[in-house]
Amino acid sequence: MRPHDNRAWFLLLPALTLLGVVGALPMLAIFNYGFHDIFTLKDVHWVGVDWFADILGSDRFLASLGRSLLFSALALGIQVPLGVGVALLLLTYGRREVWGLMLVSLPLVVPWNMIPMLWLGLIQPETGLLGPGLAAVGFDWKFTGWHTWALILVVDTWHWLGLVVVLAYAGLSSIPPAYGQAAAIDGASRWAVFRFIELPKIAGALSVVLLLRFVDSFMIYTEAFAINAGGPSDATRFLSLELGEEIKGFSYGQAAARATLYFLIVLAVVWAFVVATRRPE
Amino acid sequence: MIRHLAILALAGFILLPLVQAVILSFTATLPGEDVVKGTFGLMNYRAVLAAPELQAAMVNSAVYVVLNVVLCILVALPAAYALARYRFVGDRHFLLAILVFRVTPPVVLSLPIFILFSQLGLVNSPVGIALVHCLFNLPVAIWILESFIRSVPPEFDETAFLDGHSGPSFFIRHMIPEIAPGIGVAAFFCFIFSWVEVVFARILTVTGGKPITMAIQAMFSFQTDIGMVMAMTCLSLVPGVALIWFVRNHIARGFTLRA
Repeated sequence: MRPHDNRAWFLLLPALTLLGVVGALPMLAIFNYGFHDIFTLKDVHWVGVDWFADILGSDRFLASLGRSLLFSALALGIQVPLGVGVALLLLTYGRREVWGLMLVSLPLVVPWNMIPMLWLGLIQPETGLLGPGLAAVGFDWKFTGWHTWALILVVDTWHWLGLVVVLAYAGLSSIPPAYGQAAAIDGASRWAVFRFIELPKIAGALSVVLLLRFVDSFMIYTEAFAINAGGPSDATRFLSLELGEEIKGFSYGQAAARATLYFLIVLAVVWAFVVATRRPE
Repeated sequence: MIRHLAILALAGFILLPLVQAVILSFTATLPGEDVVKGTFGLMNYRAVLAAPELQAAMVNSAVYVVLNVVLCILVALPAAYALARYRFVGDRHFLLAILVFRVTPPVVLSLPIFILFSQLGLVNSPVGIALVHCLFNLPVAIWILESFIRSVPPEFDETAFLDGHSGPSFFIRHMIPEIAPGIGVAAFFCFIFSWVEVVFARILTVTGGKPITMAIQAMFSFQTDIGMVMAMTCLSLVPGVALIWFVRNHIARGFTLRA
Protein backbone atom coordinates (compact mmCIF):
# COMPACT_ATOMS: atom_id res chain seq x y z
CA MET A 1 0.00 0.00 0.00
CA ARG A 2 1.28 3.43 -0.85
CA PRO A 3 2.08 5.71 2.11
CA HIS A 4 -0.13 8.71 2.80
CA ASP A 5 1.80 11.97 2.50
CA ASN A 6 0.27 15.32 1.62
CA ARG A 7 3.65 16.80 0.77
CA ALA A 8 3.26 14.98 -2.57
CA TRP A 9 1.27 18.03 -3.66
CA PHE A 10 4.58 19.90 -4.00
CA LEU A 11 5.52 17.50 -6.79
CA LEU A 12 2.24 18.34 -8.53
CA LEU A 13 2.81 22.10 -8.36
CA PRO A 14 4.44 22.54 -11.80
CA ALA A 15 1.69 20.53 -13.48
CA LEU A 16 -1.01 22.42 -11.57
CA THR A 17 0.45 25.80 -12.51
CA LEU A 18 0.67 24.90 -16.18
CA LEU A 19 -2.83 23.43 -16.35
CA GLY A 20 -4.16 26.38 -14.38
CA VAL A 21 -2.92 28.84 -17.00
CA VAL A 22 -3.86 26.94 -20.15
CA GLY A 23 -6.91 25.12 -18.78
CA ALA A 24 -8.61 26.50 -15.70
CA LEU A 25 -8.18 30.19 -16.46
CA PRO A 26 -9.66 30.01 -20.00
CA MET A 27 -12.45 27.83 -18.61
CA LEU A 28 -13.36 30.51 -16.04
CA ALA A 29 -13.26 33.15 -18.77
CA ILE A 30 -15.67 31.06 -20.86
CA PHE A 31 -18.14 30.75 -17.97
CA ASN A 32 -17.96 34.51 -17.45
CA TYR A 33 -18.37 35.47 -21.13
CA GLY A 34 -21.36 33.16 -21.45
CA PHE A 35 -23.43 35.51 -19.30
CA HIS A 36 -22.52 38.62 -21.31
CA ASP A 37 -23.21 40.19 -24.66
CA ILE A 38 -19.83 41.08 -26.09
CA PHE A 39 -19.51 43.69 -28.83
CA THR A 40 -15.85 44.38 -28.23
CA LEU A 41 -13.74 43.47 -25.24
CA LYS A 42 -14.39 47.01 -23.91
CA ASP A 43 -18.12 46.95 -24.57
CA VAL A 44 -19.65 44.13 -22.55
CA HIS A 45 -23.18 43.84 -21.18
CA TRP A 46 -24.62 41.45 -18.64
CA VAL A 47 -27.41 39.37 -20.16
CA GLY A 48 -27.81 36.66 -17.53
CA VAL A 49 -28.87 33.28 -18.84
CA ASP A 50 -30.38 34.61 -22.09
CA TRP A 51 -27.85 32.90 -24.34
CA PHE A 52 -28.31 29.58 -22.59
CA ALA A 53 -32.08 29.83 -22.87
CA ASP A 54 -31.80 30.75 -26.57
CA ILE A 55 -29.53 27.84 -27.39
CA LEU A 56 -31.32 25.20 -25.36
CA GLY A 57 -34.70 26.31 -26.69
CA SER A 58 -33.71 26.25 -30.37
CA ASP A 59 -34.59 23.33 -32.63
CA ARG A 60 -31.28 23.73 -34.42
CA PHE A 61 -29.35 22.92 -31.25
CA LEU A 62 -31.39 19.80 -30.58
CA ALA A 63 -31.04 18.68 -34.20
CA SER A 64 -27.25 19.16 -34.08
CA LEU A 65 -27.08 17.35 -30.75
CA GLY A 66 -28.97 14.44 -32.30
CA ARG A 67 -26.65 14.37 -35.31
CA SER A 68 -23.54 14.45 -33.12
CA LEU A 69 -24.85 11.64 -30.91
CA LEU A 70 -25.73 9.55 -33.96
CA PHE A 71 -22.31 10.18 -35.45
CA SER A 72 -20.57 9.12 -32.23
CA ALA A 73 -22.71 6.01 -31.97
CA LEU A 74 -21.88 5.02 -35.57
CA ALA A 75 -18.17 5.83 -35.18
CA LEU A 76 -17.85 3.78 -31.97
CA GLY A 77 -20.02 0.98 -33.38
CA ILE A 78 -17.71 0.65 -36.38
CA GLN A 79 -14.28 1.45 -34.95
CA VAL A 80 -14.27 -0.44 -31.66
CA PRO A 81 -15.28 -3.90 -32.97
CA LEU A 82 -13.14 -3.41 -36.08
CA GLY A 83 -10.14 -2.31 -34.02
CA VAL A 84 -10.44 -5.23 -31.60
CA GLY A 85 -10.80 -7.56 -34.58
CA VAL A 86 -7.64 -6.20 -36.19
CA ALA A 87 -5.77 -6.50 -32.87
CA LEU A 88 -6.83 -10.16 -32.55
CA LEU A 89 -5.79 -10.75 -36.15
CA LEU A 90 -2.38 -9.18 -35.58
CA LEU A 91 -1.81 -11.38 -32.51
CA THR A 92 -1.89 -14.47 -34.76
CA TYR A 93 1.14 -13.16 -36.64
CA GLY A 94 3.67 -13.61 -33.85
CA ARG A 95 6.71 -11.41 -34.16
CA ARG A 96 5.67 -9.86 -37.46
CA GLU A 97 2.76 -8.10 -35.73
CA VAL A 98 4.96 -5.04 -35.10
CA TRP A 99 4.66 -4.22 -38.82
CA GLY A 100 0.89 -4.29 -38.50
CA LEU A 101 1.02 -1.96 -35.51
CA MET A 102 3.24 0.45 -37.42
CA LEU A 103 0.87 0.28 -40.40
CA VAL A 104 -2.25 1.16 -38.44
CA SER A 105 -0.40 3.92 -36.54
CA LEU A 106 0.46 5.75 -39.77
CA PRO A 107 -2.76 7.78 -40.02
CA LEU A 108 -2.23 9.01 -36.44
CA VAL A 109 0.79 11.07 -37.51
CA VAL A 110 -0.95 12.78 -40.44
CA PRO A 111 -1.81 16.43 -39.63
CA TRP A 112 -5.55 16.72 -39.10
CA ASN A 113 -6.18 19.31 -41.77
CA MET A 114 -4.40 17.11 -44.33
CA ILE A 115 -6.63 14.10 -43.68
CA PRO A 116 -9.79 15.41 -45.37
CA MET A 117 -7.60 16.77 -48.16
CA LEU A 118 -6.01 13.37 -48.81
CA TRP A 119 -9.42 11.74 -48.99
CA LEU A 120 -11.01 14.43 -51.13
CA GLY A 121 -8.06 14.02 -53.49
CA LEU A 122 -8.59 10.26 -53.52
CA ILE A 123 -12.26 10.51 -54.52
CA GLN A 124 -11.85 13.45 -56.89
CA PRO A 125 -13.90 12.28 -59.94
CA GLU A 126 -11.27 13.03 -62.60
CA THR A 127 -7.88 12.57 -60.96
CA GLY A 128 -8.45 10.51 -57.79
CA LEU A 129 -7.45 6.86 -57.62
CA LEU A 130 -10.97 5.97 -56.49
CA GLY A 131 -12.71 8.92 -58.18
CA PRO A 132 -13.78 7.45 -61.55
CA GLY A 133 -15.07 4.26 -59.92
CA LEU A 134 -17.09 6.10 -57.30
CA ALA A 135 -18.45 8.56 -59.85
CA ALA A 136 -19.56 5.62 -62.01
CA VAL A 137 -21.68 4.16 -59.19
CA GLY A 138 -23.23 7.56 -58.51
CA PHE A 139 -21.42 8.47 -55.29
CA ASP A 140 -22.04 12.14 -54.71
CA TRP A 141 -20.76 13.34 -51.35
CA LYS A 142 -21.40 16.99 -52.06
CA PHE A 143 -25.15 16.90 -52.53
CA THR A 144 -26.40 13.62 -51.05
CA GLY A 145 -26.61 13.71 -47.28
CA TRP A 146 -25.97 10.10 -46.43
CA HIS A 147 -23.04 9.96 -48.86
CA THR A 148 -21.41 12.80 -46.90
CA TRP A 149 -22.08 10.89 -43.69
CA ALA A 150 -20.51 7.74 -45.15
CA LEU A 151 -17.47 9.69 -46.31
CA ILE A 152 -16.92 11.36 -42.92
CA LEU A 153 -17.32 8.02 -41.16
CA VAL A 154 -14.81 6.33 -43.47
CA VAL A 155 -12.33 9.17 -43.02
CA ASP A 156 -12.77 9.16 -39.23
CA THR A 157 -12.32 5.39 -39.14
CA TRP A 158 -9.18 5.65 -41.25
CA HIS A 159 -7.85 8.29 -38.90
CA TRP A 160 -8.55 6.63 -35.55
CA LEU A 161 -8.59 2.87 -36.13
CA GLY A 162 -4.90 2.77 -35.18
CA LEU A 163 -5.54 4.11 -31.67
CA VAL A 164 -8.18 1.42 -31.03
CA VAL A 165 -5.89 -1.30 -32.40
CA VAL A 166 -2.84 -0.19 -30.41
CA LEU A 167 -4.68 0.05 -27.09
CA ALA A 168 -6.66 -3.18 -27.63
CA TYR A 169 -3.46 -4.91 -28.66
CA ALA A 170 -1.73 -3.65 -25.49
CA GLY A 171 -4.47 -5.28 -23.41
CA LEU A 172 -4.54 -8.52 -25.38
CA SER A 173 -0.79 -9.09 -25.44
CA SER A 174 -0.59 -8.84 -21.63
CA ILE A 175 -2.71 -11.99 -21.19
CA PRO A 176 -0.45 -14.84 -19.99
CA PRO A 177 -0.34 -17.79 -22.46
CA ALA A 178 -1.39 -20.11 -19.60
CA TYR A 179 -4.95 -18.79 -19.89
CA GLY A 180 -5.15 -19.86 -23.52
CA GLN A 181 -3.65 -23.27 -22.76
CA ALA A 182 -6.12 -23.88 -19.95
CA ALA A 183 -8.99 -22.89 -22.23
CA ALA A 184 -7.71 -25.22 -24.96
CA ILE A 185 -7.61 -28.15 -22.48
CA ASP A 186 -11.20 -27.39 -21.50
CA GLY A 187 -12.14 -27.39 -25.18
CA ALA A 188 -13.40 -23.82 -25.10
CA SER A 189 -14.67 -22.36 -28.38
CA ARG A 190 -13.01 -19.31 -29.95
CA TRP A 191 -16.00 -17.20 -28.97
CA ALA A 192 -15.85 -18.45 -25.36
CA VAL A 193 -12.15 -17.57 -25.18
CA PHE A 194 -12.93 -14.06 -26.42
CA ARG A 195 -15.99 -13.57 -24.22
CA PHE A 196 -14.60 -14.93 -20.94
CA ILE A 197 -10.82 -14.40 -21.16
CA GLU A 198 -9.92 -11.71 -23.67
CA LEU A 199 -12.81 -9.30 -23.26
CA PRO A 200 -12.51 -9.01 -19.44
CA LYS A 201 -8.74 -8.54 -19.79
CA ILE A 202 -9.04 -5.68 -22.28
CA ALA A 203 -12.04 -4.04 -20.60
CA GLY A 204 -9.79 -1.42 -19.01
CA ALA A 205 -8.04 -0.51 -22.25
CA LEU A 206 -11.35 -0.53 -24.13
CA SER A 207 -12.97 1.83 -21.66
CA VAL A 208 -10.18 4.34 -22.35
CA VAL A 209 -10.74 3.92 -26.09
CA LEU A 210 -14.49 4.34 -25.70
CA LEU A 211 -14.08 7.57 -23.74
CA LEU A 212 -11.45 9.13 -26.04
CA ARG A 213 -13.26 8.11 -29.20
CA PHE A 214 -16.64 9.22 -27.88
CA VAL A 215 -15.47 12.70 -26.96
CA ASP A 216 -13.39 13.20 -30.10
CA SER A 217 -16.10 11.99 -32.48
CA PHE A 218 -18.82 13.87 -30.59
CA MET A 219 -16.85 17.09 -31.10
CA ILE A 220 -15.53 16.32 -34.60
CA TYR A 221 -14.63 19.57 -36.29
CA THR A 222 -11.62 19.64 -38.61
CA GLU A 223 -12.62 16.77 -40.88
CA ALA A 224 -16.34 17.51 -40.95
CA PHE A 225 -15.79 21.18 -41.71
CA ALA A 226 -13.27 20.55 -44.47
CA ILE A 227 -15.33 17.86 -46.17
CA ASN A 228 -18.64 19.62 -46.53
CA ALA A 229 -18.88 22.42 -43.90
CA GLY A 230 -22.07 20.92 -42.45
CA GLY A 231 -23.79 20.43 -45.78
CA PRO A 232 -25.62 19.38 -47.84
CA SER A 233 -28.47 21.45 -46.35
CA ASP A 234 -27.23 20.96 -42.77
CA ALA A 235 -27.19 17.15 -43.03
CA THR A 236 -23.77 17.00 -41.31
CA ARG A 237 -24.09 20.08 -39.13
CA PHE A 238 -22.54 18.80 -35.90
CA LEU A 239 -22.36 20.61 -32.55
CA SER A 240 -18.78 21.77 -33.02
CA LEU A 241 -19.54 23.26 -36.45
CA GLU A 242 -22.20 25.52 -34.89
CA LEU A 243 -19.70 26.72 -32.32
CA GLY A 244 -17.12 27.37 -35.03
CA GLU A 245 -19.67 29.42 -36.98
CA GLU A 246 -20.43 31.61 -33.99
CA ILE A 247 -16.76 32.25 -33.28
CA LYS A 248 -16.14 33.14 -36.90
CA GLY A 249 -19.21 35.40 -36.81
CA PHE A 250 -17.78 37.31 -33.79
CA SER A 251 -20.79 36.34 -31.69
CA TYR A 252 -18.55 35.84 -28.68
CA GLY A 253 -21.11 35.87 -25.87
CA GLN A 254 -23.26 33.26 -27.54
CA ALA A 255 -20.21 31.21 -28.53
CA ALA A 256 -19.03 31.23 -24.91
CA ALA A 257 -22.42 30.11 -23.63
CA ARG A 258 -22.41 27.32 -26.20
CA ALA A 259 -18.86 26.32 -25.29
CA THR A 260 -19.93 26.18 -21.63
CA LEU A 261 -22.80 23.86 -22.52
CA TYR A 262 -20.52 21.59 -24.53
CA PHE A 263 -18.03 21.54 -21.67
CA LEU A 264 -20.80 20.54 -19.27
CA ILE A 265 -21.82 17.71 -21.62
CA VAL A 266 -18.21 16.50 -21.75
CA LEU A 267 -17.92 16.80 -17.97
CA ALA A 268 -21.05 14.73 -17.48
CA VAL A 269 -19.73 12.04 -19.83
CA VAL A 270 -16.36 11.92 -18.02
CA TRP A 271 -18.07 11.72 -14.65
CA ALA A 272 -20.31 8.89 -15.84
CA PHE A 273 -17.25 7.13 -17.21
CA VAL A 274 -15.32 7.44 -13.95
CA VAL A 275 -18.25 6.21 -11.88
CA ALA A 276 -18.86 3.31 -14.25
CA THR A 277 -15.24 2.15 -14.36
CA ARG A 278 -14.22 2.84 -10.76
CA ARG A 279 -13.27 -0.44 -9.20
CA PRO A 280 -14.49 -1.02 -5.66
CA GLU A 281 -11.52 -0.68 -3.33
CA MET B 1 -5.94 -17.61 -46.10
CA ILE B 2 -8.84 -15.42 -44.98
CA ARG B 3 -6.69 -13.68 -42.43
CA HIS B 4 -4.08 -12.85 -45.07
CA LEU B 5 -6.81 -11.33 -47.23
CA ALA B 6 -8.09 -9.34 -44.25
CA ILE B 7 -4.59 -7.97 -43.58
CA LEU B 8 -4.21 -7.08 -47.27
CA ALA B 9 -7.56 -5.28 -47.26
CA LEU B 10 -6.52 -3.38 -44.14
CA ALA B 11 -3.18 -2.41 -45.66
CA GLY B 12 -4.96 -1.23 -48.81
CA PHE B 13 -7.41 0.86 -46.83
CA ILE B 14 -4.68 2.49 -44.74
CA LEU B 15 -2.19 3.04 -47.55
CA LEU B 16 -4.46 4.12 -50.41
CA PRO B 17 -4.73 7.83 -49.53
CA LEU B 18 -1.02 7.95 -48.70
CA VAL B 19 -0.05 6.27 -51.97
CA GLN B 20 -1.99 8.84 -53.92
CA ALA B 21 -0.29 11.63 -51.97
CA VAL B 22 3.16 10.20 -52.64
CA ILE B 23 2.45 9.78 -56.36
CA LEU B 24 1.13 13.34 -56.67
CA SER B 25 4.11 14.70 -54.74
CA PHE B 26 6.40 13.42 -57.52
CA THR B 27 4.19 14.73 -60.32
CA ALA B 28 4.20 18.18 -61.90
CA THR B 29 0.56 19.21 -61.47
CA LEU B 30 0.87 22.72 -62.87
CA PRO B 31 2.71 23.52 -66.10
CA GLY B 32 5.93 25.36 -65.19
CA GLU B 33 8.58 27.18 -67.21
CA ASP B 34 10.62 24.13 -68.07
CA VAL B 35 8.43 21.18 -67.02
CA VAL B 36 5.45 19.72 -68.83
CA LYS B 37 2.38 18.97 -66.72
CA GLY B 38 2.36 15.33 -65.65
CA THR B 39 6.09 14.64 -65.68
CA PHE B 40 7.59 12.68 -62.82
CA GLY B 41 10.45 14.04 -60.79
CA LEU B 42 11.62 15.80 -57.68
CA MET B 43 10.52 19.28 -58.80
CA ASN B 44 7.85 19.65 -56.09
CA TYR B 45 10.28 18.78 -53.32
CA ARG B 46 12.84 21.20 -54.75
CA ALA B 47 10.20 23.94 -54.87
CA VAL B 48 9.07 23.24 -51.29
CA LEU B 49 12.59 23.25 -49.89
CA ALA B 50 13.38 26.49 -51.76
CA ALA B 51 10.36 28.43 -50.46
CA PRO B 52 11.38 30.62 -47.49
CA GLU B 53 7.92 30.62 -45.84
CA LEU B 54 7.82 26.82 -45.94
CA GLN B 55 11.33 26.58 -44.49
CA ALA B 56 10.24 28.90 -41.69
CA ALA B 57 7.15 26.72 -41.12
CA MET B 58 9.28 23.61 -40.68
CA VAL B 59 11.45 25.40 -38.14
CA ASN B 60 8.36 26.71 -36.31
CA SER B 61 6.82 23.24 -36.15
CA ALA B 62 10.04 21.67 -34.90
CA VAL B 63 10.48 24.39 -32.26
CA TYR B 64 6.99 24.22 -30.81
CA VAL B 65 6.81 20.42 -30.80
CA VAL B 66 10.19 19.98 -29.14
CA LEU B 67 9.35 22.66 -26.57
CA ASN B 68 6.03 21.02 -25.88
CA VAL B 69 7.46 17.52 -25.47
CA VAL B 70 10.30 18.70 -23.19
CA LEU B 71 7.95 20.80 -21.08
CA CYS B 72 5.40 17.99 -20.76
CA ILE B 73 7.99 15.41 -19.72
CA LEU B 74 9.72 17.71 -17.23
CA VAL B 75 6.46 18.73 -15.57
CA ALA B 76 4.89 15.28 -15.75
CA LEU B 77 7.80 13.39 -14.16
CA PRO B 78 7.43 14.71 -10.59
CA ALA B 79 3.63 14.58 -10.82
CA ALA B 80 3.72 10.98 -12.07
CA TYR B 81 6.14 10.04 -9.30
CA ALA B 82 3.87 11.58 -6.65
CA LEU B 83 0.83 9.74 -8.01
CA ALA B 84 2.65 6.43 -8.33
CA ARG B 85 4.24 6.44 -4.87
CA TYR B 86 1.95 8.34 -2.49
CA ARG B 87 -1.65 8.71 -1.51
CA PHE B 88 -2.70 12.23 -0.56
CA VAL B 89 -5.75 14.36 -0.03
CA GLY B 90 -7.31 15.05 -3.44
CA ASP B 91 -5.22 12.68 -5.55
CA ARG B 92 -8.30 11.25 -7.24
CA HIS B 93 -9.66 14.73 -7.88
CA PHE B 94 -6.41 15.64 -9.56
CA LEU B 95 -6.69 12.57 -11.81
CA LEU B 96 -10.27 13.47 -12.63
CA ALA B 97 -9.23 17.04 -13.45
CA ILE B 98 -6.49 16.01 -15.87
CA LEU B 99 -8.89 13.58 -17.53
CA VAL B 100 -11.37 16.44 -18.03
CA PHE B 101 -8.65 18.65 -19.51
CA ARG B 102 -7.53 15.86 -21.82
CA VAL B 103 -10.97 15.42 -23.35
CA THR B 104 -12.11 19.05 -23.46
CA PRO B 105 -12.42 19.83 -27.18
CA PRO B 106 -9.97 22.53 -28.33
CA VAL B 107 -12.72 24.38 -30.16
CA VAL B 108 -14.45 24.98 -26.79
CA LEU B 109 -11.40 26.75 -25.35
CA SER B 110 -10.08 28.41 -28.50
CA LEU B 111 -11.70 31.80 -27.88
CA PRO B 112 -10.45 32.56 -24.32
CA ILE B 113 -7.07 31.00 -25.12
CA PHE B 114 -6.68 33.47 -27.95
CA ILE B 115 -7.67 36.44 -25.78
CA LEU B 116 -5.46 35.33 -22.87
CA PHE B 117 -2.45 34.59 -25.05
CA SER B 118 -2.71 37.83 -26.98
CA GLN B 119 -2.57 39.68 -23.64
CA LEU B 120 0.50 37.64 -22.68
CA GLY B 121 2.11 38.38 -26.05
CA LEU B 122 2.19 34.70 -27.02
CA VAL B 123 0.25 34.94 -30.28
CA ASN B 124 2.17 34.27 -33.52
CA SER B 125 4.92 32.51 -31.62
CA PRO B 126 5.76 28.80 -31.36
CA VAL B 127 5.98 29.21 -27.55
CA GLY B 128 2.24 29.88 -27.36
CA ILE B 129 1.37 26.70 -29.25
CA ALA B 130 3.84 24.69 -27.16
CA LEU B 131 2.19 25.92 -23.94
CA VAL B 132 -1.40 25.40 -24.99
CA HIS B 133 -0.76 21.88 -26.30
CA CYS B 134 0.22 20.91 -22.74
CA LEU B 135 -3.50 21.04 -22.03
CA PHE B 136 -4.04 17.65 -23.67
CA ASN B 137 -0.46 16.30 -23.66
CA LEU B 138 0.40 16.75 -19.99
CA PRO B 139 -2.37 14.36 -18.86
CA VAL B 140 -1.22 11.77 -21.38
CA ALA B 141 2.40 12.12 -20.24
CA ILE B 142 1.37 11.81 -16.58
CA TRP B 143 -0.67 8.63 -17.24
CA ILE B 144 2.08 6.93 -19.20
CA LEU B 145 4.92 7.86 -16.83
CA GLU B 146 2.82 6.95 -13.79
CA SER B 147 2.20 3.45 -15.13
CA PHE B 148 5.93 2.98 -15.82
CA ILE B 149 7.04 4.32 -12.41
CA ARG B 150 4.46 2.14 -10.70
CA SER B 151 5.96 -0.96 -12.30
CA VAL B 152 9.30 -0.14 -10.61
CA PRO B 153 9.19 -1.67 -7.10
CA PRO B 154 9.34 0.91 -4.22
CA GLU B 155 12.36 -0.98 -2.83
CA PHE B 156 14.29 0.46 -5.78
CA ASP B 157 13.78 3.98 -4.35
CA GLU B 158 14.56 2.91 -0.79
CA THR B 159 17.85 1.27 -1.78
CA ALA B 160 18.94 4.42 -3.58
CA PHE B 161 18.04 6.58 -0.57
CA LEU B 162 20.00 4.25 1.74
CA ASP B 163 22.96 4.65 -0.62
CA GLY B 164 22.80 8.34 0.20
CA HIS B 165 21.08 9.73 -2.89
CA SER B 166 18.90 12.76 -2.29
CA GLY B 167 15.63 13.33 -4.19
CA PRO B 168 16.87 15.08 -7.35
CA SER B 169 20.03 13.02 -7.76
CA PHE B 170 18.05 9.80 -7.25
CA PHE B 171 15.63 10.93 -9.92
CA ILE B 172 18.27 11.81 -12.50
CA ARG B 173 20.70 8.97 -11.89
CA HIS B 174 18.34 6.10 -11.08
CA MET B 175 14.69 6.67 -11.85
CA ILE B 176 15.01 8.28 -15.27
CA PRO B 177 17.31 5.58 -16.73
CA GLU B 178 15.02 2.94 -15.22
CA ILE B 179 11.91 4.24 -16.98
CA ALA B 180 13.60 5.40 -20.20
CA PRO B 181 11.23 3.40 -22.45
CA GLY B 182 8.30 5.05 -20.68
CA ILE B 183 9.75 8.47 -21.38
CA GLY B 184 10.12 7.43 -25.01
CA VAL B 185 6.50 6.32 -25.25
CA ALA B 186 5.26 9.47 -23.49
CA ALA B 187 7.35 11.63 -25.82
CA PHE B 188 5.97 9.73 -28.81
CA PHE B 189 2.33 10.31 -27.86
CA CYS B 190 2.99 13.96 -26.94
CA PHE B 191 4.76 14.44 -30.25
CA ILE B 192 2.01 13.02 -32.43
CA PHE B 193 -0.88 14.72 -30.62
CA SER B 194 0.96 18.03 -30.82
CA TRP B 195 2.28 17.67 -34.38
CA VAL B 196 -1.15 16.97 -35.91
CA GLU B 197 -3.26 19.43 -33.90
CA VAL B 198 -4.70 22.30 -35.93
CA VAL B 199 -7.43 24.14 -34.01
CA PHE B 200 -5.13 25.84 -31.49
CA ALA B 201 -2.32 26.08 -34.03
CA ARG B 202 -4.62 28.02 -36.35
CA ILE B 203 -6.09 30.38 -33.78
CA LEU B 204 -2.70 31.24 -32.28
CA THR B 205 -0.90 31.98 -35.56
CA VAL B 206 -2.75 34.87 -37.15
CA THR B 207 0.01 36.53 -39.14
CA GLY B 208 3.25 34.76 -38.30
CA GLY B 209 4.86 31.80 -36.59
CA LYS B 210 2.84 29.43 -38.74
CA PRO B 211 3.65 25.72 -38.31
CA ILE B 212 3.70 23.26 -41.23
CA THR B 213 -0.01 22.48 -40.94
CA MET B 214 -1.00 26.12 -41.38
CA ALA B 215 1.61 26.72 -44.07
CA ILE B 216 0.05 23.92 -46.13
CA GLN B 217 -3.37 25.50 -45.59
CA ALA B 218 -1.97 28.79 -46.90
CA MET B 219 -0.78 27.10 -50.11
CA PHE B 220 -4.36 26.72 -51.30
CA SER B 221 -5.27 29.53 -53.64
CA PHE B 222 -7.04 30.22 -56.93
CA GLN B 223 -4.53 28.02 -58.75
CA THR B 224 -3.26 25.51 -56.23
CA ASP B 225 -0.13 23.56 -57.04
CA ILE B 226 -1.47 20.32 -55.59
CA GLY B 227 1.78 18.49 -56.27
CA MET B 228 3.62 20.94 -54.07
CA VAL B 229 0.94 20.63 -51.37
CA MET B 230 1.37 16.86 -51.42
CA ALA B 231 5.17 17.14 -51.31
CA MET B 232 4.86 19.31 -48.22
CA THR B 233 2.35 16.87 -46.71
CA CYS B 234 4.70 13.94 -47.33
CA LEU B 235 7.55 15.85 -45.70
CA SER B 236 5.34 16.59 -42.70
CA LEU B 237 4.86 12.84 -42.22
CA VAL B 238 8.57 12.05 -42.02
CA PRO B 239 9.19 12.85 -38.31
CA GLY B 240 6.07 10.96 -37.24
CA VAL B 241 6.95 7.90 -39.27
CA ALA B 242 10.50 7.98 -37.92
CA LEU B 243 9.18 8.13 -34.35
CA ILE B 244 6.83 5.21 -34.98
CA TRP B 245 9.89 3.27 -36.09
CA PHE B 246 11.83 4.16 -32.92
CA VAL B 247 9.11 3.22 -30.46
CA ARG B 248 7.75 0.27 -32.45
CA ASN B 249 8.59 -2.27 -29.76
CA HIS B 250 7.09 -0.19 -26.95
CA ILE B 251 4.14 1.33 -28.77
CA ALA B 252 1.73 -1.22 -27.31
CA ARG B 253 2.53 -0.17 -23.75
CA GLY B 254 0.17 2.68 -24.62
CA PHE B 255 -1.52 4.44 -21.78
CA THR B 256 -3.42 3.03 -18.88
CA LEU B 257 -5.67 5.68 -17.52
CA ARG B 258 -6.38 5.99 -13.83
CA ALA B 259 -9.17 8.11 -12.44
